[in-house]
Amino acid sequence: MTNEMIWMVLLDGLMAAIAAIGFAVISNPPRKAIFVSAILAALGHSLRFFLINSGLDISLSTFVAATFIGLLSIAFARIIHCPAEVFSYPSLLPMIPGMFAYRTILSVIRFMQSTDTLQSQHFMMDFFHNGMTTLFIMLALVVGVSLPILLFPKLSFSVTRKY
Amino acid sequence: MRIIQNVARMAETFGYDLDLSVFQMSIMMTIIDKEDPGKLLTQIRKIKPLHLNFTIVSELSTLSWDTYDKHLPFDEVTSSYHHIINQKRMNSALVLFLVAAANAAFCGLFRGDFIAMTFVFFATFAGFFVRQIMIKKHINHLVVFTTSAFVASILAGIGYVIHVGHTPEIALASSVLFLIPGVPMINSILDILEGHILIGIARLVNATSLIICIAIGLFTAMLILGLEKL
Repeated sequence: MTNEMIWMVLLDGLMAAIAAIGFAVISNPPRKAIFVSAILAALGHSLRFFLINSGLDISLSTFVAATFIGLLSIAFARIIHCPAEVFSYPSLLPMIPGMFAYRTILSVIRFMQSTDTLQSQHFMMDFFHNGMTTLFIMLALVVGVSLPILLFPKLSFSVTRKY
Repeated sequence: MRIIQNVARMAETFGYDLDLSVFQMSIMMTIIDKEDPGKLLTQIRKIKPLHLNFTIVSELSTLSWDTYDKHLPFDEVTSSYHHIINQKRMNSALVLFLVAAANAAFCGLFRGDFIAMTFVFFATFAGFFVRQIMIKKHINHLVVFTTSAFVASILAGIGYVIHVGHTPEIALASSVLFLIPGVPMINSILDILEGHILIGIARLVNATSLIICIAIGLFTAMLILGLEKL
């Protein structure tokens, strides 16, 4: 790993942390959970960035990053006595494939407007490519983050218990 | 779902069995006295449209365990419930600033340059401000999403029209991403995976219609600015 690469990964983590804080406050979380979600988002997103740059495809790297966030979130949940979802969801938000989702709808509209057959085929391919990517990233996010919750249900549903 | 477990736990503390179904618009609940199964009560209640509030989620979960472990008296549970529900939300000006910064950082994640990020910051600021005002006035949420997507993208699109920076198209595309309903999307897939398929699909349809509204707002702005492709 070169120096430049390390720098890029760090920058990516920082951006993801800022993004996670902002998207977290929309849903009014407890104060302490905001910082945890920033840390988790930074770790998760920079892990994903690193994996994508090492040649893994985007949905698989998302899955790995989301599982990582899920595992860490249960550990943090036991420390600060909050449900894990409260900070694992906001830390996933920077990974939500908003851009792909939006391109999917864009290509549908272009397809509808286009009169040229060749162009229509092109937009059709765009639609499926972007739509499938959106779907698989979403599935990877959710399955990844809830895998630890499904594996240790007792543990993750009793984190707010104090005794 | 967490809510079913928590409510059932609280009911158990007071010696009742409980069954609960959650739908998009209503909740159906039956409680049965454990000692006298003939005594039961069923009610269907409308769900008030609430905004996401993780503090309430977290504290109610804590309350349910406290009730279970400490056998709190009913009055105390009720009073702390009302206390939790009526808490104030975070200062809306601070939220506005943080959301704008977040979306600018988001633009950076998509490789937007610094000028693009500045445009996104102000666009998001305006868009989210419009959203806060309209939510306060209880306007239909589809209209709210369309309008704030329109406001945000028309401001971000100015950078495209006057040709500043190298990545105006990224600024335009990521200016509306703060509206994407991420938590409902995750929740809906989680519900489907856990077997609550009906509510999961309801939430998915809800999230999709919001995304379509965002796209409509964005396209209207692009039409007005005369931008052909992105």
